[in-house]
Amino acid sequence: MSAETSHQEPAARRVVVTGVGVVSPLGDSPRDLHAALTEGASGFRAVTLFDTDGLGARHAGEVADFAPESYLGRVNLRPVDRTARLVIVAAHLAFEESGWTRELREEHDVGLVLGTMFGSVHTISSFDRRALVAGPSYAKPFDFANSVINAAAGQTAIWHALRGINSTVAGGTTAGLQALAYAAEVIRTGRADAVLAGGADELCFESLYGFHQTGQLCSEGDGGAGHAVPFDARRDGMVLGEGAGLLMLEEAGSALERGAPILGEIRGHGNCYDCSRGTGESAVDAVERAVALALGDAGVSAGEIGAVSAAGNGSVLGDRHEALGLAAALGGRADLPVTAVKSMLGETLGASGAFGTIALLESLRSGVLPGIRGLEEPEEGLGLEGLSPRAREIETRLGLIDAVGLDGNVCALVIERIDSEELSAQLSGGA
Amino acid sequence: MPGSIGPRSIGRRRIVVTGIGAVTPVGAGREEVWENLLSGSSGFAPVESFDTSRYNVHAGAEIKEFDPAPYFSRLDPQTVGRATQLAIAAARQAVDDADLDLDSVEPERAGVVMGTTSGEPREVESFDDRYVAEELEQVGPEFITRYPCHVIAGCVASELQLAGVNAMIPAACAAGNYALAHAFDVLRAGRADVMLAGGADSFSRITYTGFARLGAIAPEVCQPFDRNRKGMIPGEGAAVLVLEPLERALERGRQPYAEVAGYGLSCDAHHMTAAHPEGAARAMQRALSDSSRQPEAVGYISAHGTGTATNDRLETRAVKRVFGDAAYKVPMSSIKSMIGHTMGAASAIEAAVCALAVATDRIPPTAHFEEPDPECDLDCVPNEAREQRVDMAMNNAYAFGGNNASVIFEKCRT
Amino acid sequence: MDVEQIRSKIKDVISNVTNIEPGEIGDQASFIDDLQLDSLSLLEIGVDVDYEFKLGVPEERLGELRTVQDAVELVQQCLAERAA
Repeated sequence: MSAETSHQEPAARRVVVTGVGVVSPLGDSPRDLHAALTEGASGFRAVTLFDTDGLGARHAGEVADFAPESYLGRVNLRPVDRTARLVIVAAHLAFEESGWTRELREEHDVGLVLGTMFGSVHTISSFDRRALVAGPSYAKPFDFANSVINAAAGQTAIWHALRGINSTVAGGTTAGLQALAYAAEVIRTGRADAVLAGGADELCFESLYGFHQTGQLCSEGDGGAGHAVPFDARRDGMVLGEGAGLLMLEEAGSALERGAPILGEIRGHGNCYDCSRGTGESAVDAVERAVALALGDAGVSAGEIGAVSAAGNGSVLGDRHEALGLAAALGGRADLPVTAVKSMLGETLGASGAFGTIALLESLRSGVLPGIRGLEEPEEGLGLEGLSPRAREIETRLGLIDAVGLDGNVCALVIERIDSEELSAQLSGGA
Repeated sequence: MPGSIGPRSIGRRRIVVTGIGAVTPVGAGREEVWENLLSGSSGFAPVESFDTSRYNVHAGAEIKEFDPAPYFSRLDPQTVGRATQLAIAAARQAVDDADLDLDSVEPERAGVVMGTTSGEPREVESFDDRYVAEELEQVGPEFITRYPCHVIAGCVASELQLAGVNAMIPAACAAGNYALAHAFDVLRAGRADVMLAGGADSFSRITYTGFARLGAIAPEVCQPFDRNRKGMIPGEGAAVLVLEPLERALERGRQPYAEVAGYGLSCDAHHMTAAHPEGAARAMQRALSDSSRQPEAVGYISAHGTGTATNDRLETRAVKRVFGDAAYKVPMSSIKSMIGHTMGAASAIEAAVCALAVATDRIPPTAHFEEPDPECDLDCVPNEAREQRVDMAMNNAYAFGGNNASVIFEKCRT
Repeated sequence: MDVEQIRSKIKDVISNVTNIEPGEIGDQASFIDDLQLDSLSLLEIGVDVDYEFKLGVPEERLGELRTVQDAVELVQQCLAERAA
């Protein structure tokens, strides 16, 4: 790695988390989500959103009975599709926790950076099919407005009056983590003071069927989803999930000044690409490189990381590459506690990096790291010994989240637990 | 709120454009595209890629006779979608144009950021055709392996072996500018030594149907700022710019086309499909302040200029708001009058135009201009290209979702 | 189909787009002044009304709709033209 990286110097502007909004298969608050993950609850259930007859995959991490009106009141959601509804509600929850009232948002520019894999492929496909069947003059204008992949970010900006930087980041299953990195960077470099960031994807027929046709989903037995157990020797694929996870990121000084809750800090990030697109040995190097970049960016050593929230989703090759890459990057820390929340939430695509981050932040704050549900027999030779089916106590301030895409994208993020007293002392101490 | 937003605290490297690649409805490659735009070529013709007999409009700006094979050496062009093919072609051209020996670049320090509106829409259109024909079992794995838009940036990186930062920014019709802006920040922060940045979209039935339904498509030609303009014309294309730090370009003996001076993003938070002049103005103001320049320094504006009644009127208003009286002195043309609206590629192609305007002191015209519109009374460089000094060019782009992006290019003083 | 049935179906369509209860939509309500619809919502209603009755309404006539009553009359005319 080149030494000529100015970003390794400590940045003057620090980025803190002041609120979290989450709509997941296992709850709609970071506390509830963390509690469910710690208990080893499963978010998998028979899909109710659409008919799964004739589909090999019938279970998923669906956000059951999602009722946006219960958060937003009686409002007109017709112009907004499911992906955007998930994001609008998650944003609502994040603003509530962080104290960004509508009045404040009207006065100040708040940005939004959203990671997503599909936007809404269901909206896009439905729009096209209606025009195909009924004729182009019957194409639905609302659906067309939502057919752009940045629709959820745009709709959420309209809903919540967000006039700052508004961007959408794709990247498959790394999109959510990439969005957090992107948002942290625009704050760090002085382009913004307050940016809501994270990711979302909806569960829909089009993506479930599409993934089924790739053979990437786990087998299904009579009792439900099969062996979508990250890093387990018997794993045979993933289970899809859905949801939205958003973190309110702010410049540390301005967050303190407005008396915002301080939950943690985004310390650094790394992003790179595996040119074999997830098929070759270079995939391992890419994971190692992304983690090393994130550690370097954060200015911390591998030895200081006390917990990892991994991307493992049950995919045979992907989990192996990730584990080997993590082991190489965190060299000598084979016992490091590693969780993989997709064992309980499923592969939530664009939301997954945000869920991994939210789960780890709550773990750092509570001192309990969830286990990997269903883990019986970790694959041998992965180099990670800190894999456990059960939740564990951890004593650490620093955690690492990584995201490994299905076809080459890799991203890593270092976060730290910090509260307002500590931050205040550090800032006034000129640290 | 404590106003600590100011000059960036990290990353002051000067970032320049050293290579340009483009595949458009009026040609491919920097030289051909630039000459054809200066001469007012037209890329409009009846749509061929799908049947428009049930539509009340038929004009499109498709790329005819595109052969991806010469641009591919690692991936098989038949295994990727059309937008990816166009993107890889533009990327390969840009690398050649920059005289960039990829073997001399550390792959880990070279990356790709691309923008798009639709990703690979033909893959989902094919899914829909099978759905409607009740032949879903014929949907193969390629729906998932080719369709999601991040595959475009990924395949560019894979084909050219660029293992550094990789990102896809689907900011609809402003996506090219968003991608350039992000790549600029990546380089400024020292996270890479060279970045390929741009945008790509293939001609899409879905996009065409939508704009046709909104009544936004013109019957034959696109006439931005004309009093009788009848709408936009959907197109397709790709453009990629090679961005690198100035010192690196000079070390390898390259005179840059232009320097990226800065950018500004904003969000209307107003309406999904209807733009708002306030948000557009804020993006321009932020770009100027990011570049530490006054509006008077701008010598050319590449307009979003779609040719719809509303866009051109609102855009004119926004420019006046930012530039005041100076607005009347700045040439502002729209190449969409020649190549249509190439969606996510549009602002990337227009960025290439800005870099070339700055490099050559030539300004492409707004073609098909017939009658001035009192509500669009700025200098749109009607019909004839102009030779005029351009120290600085501003590239404006606006998108569904209220996403606005302005990027500023200036002459590179070395 | 009588005028009440047409009006009722049209109000259902409007309700589906706006989330306003059909009973709260006046017979003479103006789309812009009373229901505060933007042009996209108005177009959505026009398309859905056309689809509901399978009329094939020409583009320009959809664009002329200002009130609920306009929509009712348009549907009546189109149905009459089709029957003729």
